[in-house]
Amino acid sequence: MRTLERDVQASQRSIALIAEMIHTASLVHDDVIDDARSRRGKHTVNKIWGEKKAVLAGDLILSAASIALARIGNTTVISILTQVIEDLVRGEFLQLGSKENENERFAHYLEKTFKKTASLIANSCKAVSVLGCPDPVVHEIAYQYGKNVGIAFQLIDDVLDFTSCSDQMGKPTSADLKLGLATGPVLFACQQFPEMNAMIMRRFSLPGDVDRARQYVLQSDGVQQTTYLAQRYCHEAVREISKLRPSPERDALIQLSEIVLTRDK
Amino acid sequence: MSLRQRLFRLPRYLGASGSPRRLWWSPSLDTISLVGSWRGQSSRSPAHWNQVVSEAEKIVGYPTSFMSLRCLLSDELSNIAMQVRKLVGTQHPLLTTARGLVYDSRHNLQLRGLVVLLISKAAGPSSMKASCQNYDMVSGIYSCQRSLAEITELIHTALLVHRGIVNLNELQSSDGPLKDMQFGNKIAILSGDFLLANACNGLALLQNTKVVELLASALMDLVQGVYHENSTSAKENYITDDIGISTWKEQTFLSHGALLAKSCQAAMELAKHGAEVQDMAFQYGKHMAMSHKINSDLQPFIKEKTSDSTTFHLNSAPVVLHQEFLGRDLWIKQIGEAQEKGRLDYAKDWPQGVFEVLEDS
Repeated sequence: MRTLERDVQASQRSIALIAEMIHTASLVHDDVIDDARSRRGKHTVNKIWGEKKAVLAGDLILSAASIALARIGNTTVISILTQVIEDLVRGEFLQLGSKENENERFAHYLEKTFKKTASLIANSCKAVSVLGCPDPVVHEIAYQYGKNVGIAFQLIDDVLDFTSCSDQMGKPTSADLKLGLATGPVLFACQQFPEMNAMIMRRFSLPGDVDRARQYVLQSDGVQQTTYLAQRYCHEAVREISKLRPSPERDALIQLSEIVLTRDK
Repeated sequence: MSLRQRLFRLPRYLGASGSPRRLWWSPSLDTISLVGSWRGQSSRSPAHWNQVVSEAEKIVGYPTSFMSLRCLLSDELSNIAMQVRKLVGTQHPLLTTARGLVYDSRHNLQLRGLVVLLISKAAGPSSMKASCQNYDMVSGIYSCQRSLAEITELIHTALLVHRGIVNLNELQSSDGPLKDMQFGNKIAILSGDFLLANACNGLALLQNTKVVELLASALMDLVQGVYHENSTSAKENYITDDIGISTWKEQTFLSHGALLAKSCQAAMELAKHGAEVQDMAFQYGKHMAMSHKINSDLQPFIKEKTSDSTTFHLNSAPVVLHQEFLGRDLWIKQIGEAQEKGRLDYAKDWPQGVFEVLEDS
């Protein structure tokens, strides 16, 4: 009888590192793009060392991640993770543009959310499953779990931008509005308060827009609707991962998706 | 003709004088005069150079000037182009870089890609060609090698764009509005990242992990090289680094040699050539790139029409050697004397500003 492979392989551990490196590289660049002052409660790289070094640092981390990825020696895994790099960049571009049409806006927002956040989690999960077993059904389960948790995570992040105050989060709140971004709560609120459309189109650029928009959101059920949507994504994640056989690890993954919903920072 | 003979013919073909291997450093005046013998080549007309390049392009089958732009027939590129247009009238370096890439064909010599293609063709199929029999081959070059040439240019261009990021807290009022610079930075980062993402995707498609590792490590070298370029000895407030020629060699290998060297090696790996051929290709690429950089550093010193306002980089090869011969103290004294006599006028945002004068794309 085949012994059950319970230990994490070195290559899978490597994927975890690589995923973190790709994430960090993208954060370093994002902070320059957004001219951010703080991240995770500390000063950003660009504020301490300047924009030039920050960009180079991001590039360096990306190259280190790529070297590590190559050394795993699996071309399928390389393809899966380079897809993430492409998605991250496309996600940023999606954020630069905006959609005129209200209906398109939500789809655009979810697509951007997938590319910027969920793709990394989904594809890293898929990559480790590829390294762990040959069954494509399992790969798909891993991918779907990661994707759903990832989207839920970002939706909650967008909610917290409205509901938390700045000493709890690593970055100041209404950050998204100040960047001109219309996230889940805003898009839902707009359905109740169509006056928000004009502000969304001009990306909250006029004085007073950010505060007014914030007020609209808090008056509406935008936060509740977004939270509910996040719950649905989490349930989907749990449904997928439950297809795997029972194990402490599976329980942990289920718990993780619950934590995504209940975190306050 | 053996591969070795073919490789040695190539630089002559591209206008270099003699074997690049011999053009290597020993810090002595002999070497300088050897490098100086390039003068014969470099003072030939641009027309001669263009002719050499176009003949090389015929060998590989197509013009390579817009290689790295070809993959960018996408929404993102039109987005970028629109955004870059907004920078017209500002002082952001990205505008210069973009202009150089698109309009200025004299500077847009995509040498790296062309060299990779030439060396691929020169090396031809390996003894392992049976394992490559599924690859397409056009004009003697495998399609994966062509792809690699493009990837090399993408990486080079990405870092060229990223080099143009400006530090916001060093801006002067003469640089224009802050928000123009912020916007320029944003577009520069995104464009560079877009190019890198395309490069990574291209590498993944090659389905060869050794090649991915080679090019990823070349990227790492390049980033470190650019980092060194940017760091001045801020502590001592000297405008020139206290480095000897061997340090200069190491740093220049990182910023200029590594990409072409590893790319040439990777091209050999794709055709399944052995370690000896790969190493030969590596050395070729390294020396080609280094000699190109040295030639470029020499230009301000040997041009016939040197005006008083010729700019040169204070960390360029001739200056570094000069400092090594004289000793640091005497060199610093010379700089001081030039400053006093009002003969030294260096660009405020050097080395970036000065470097751009000499940078051939």
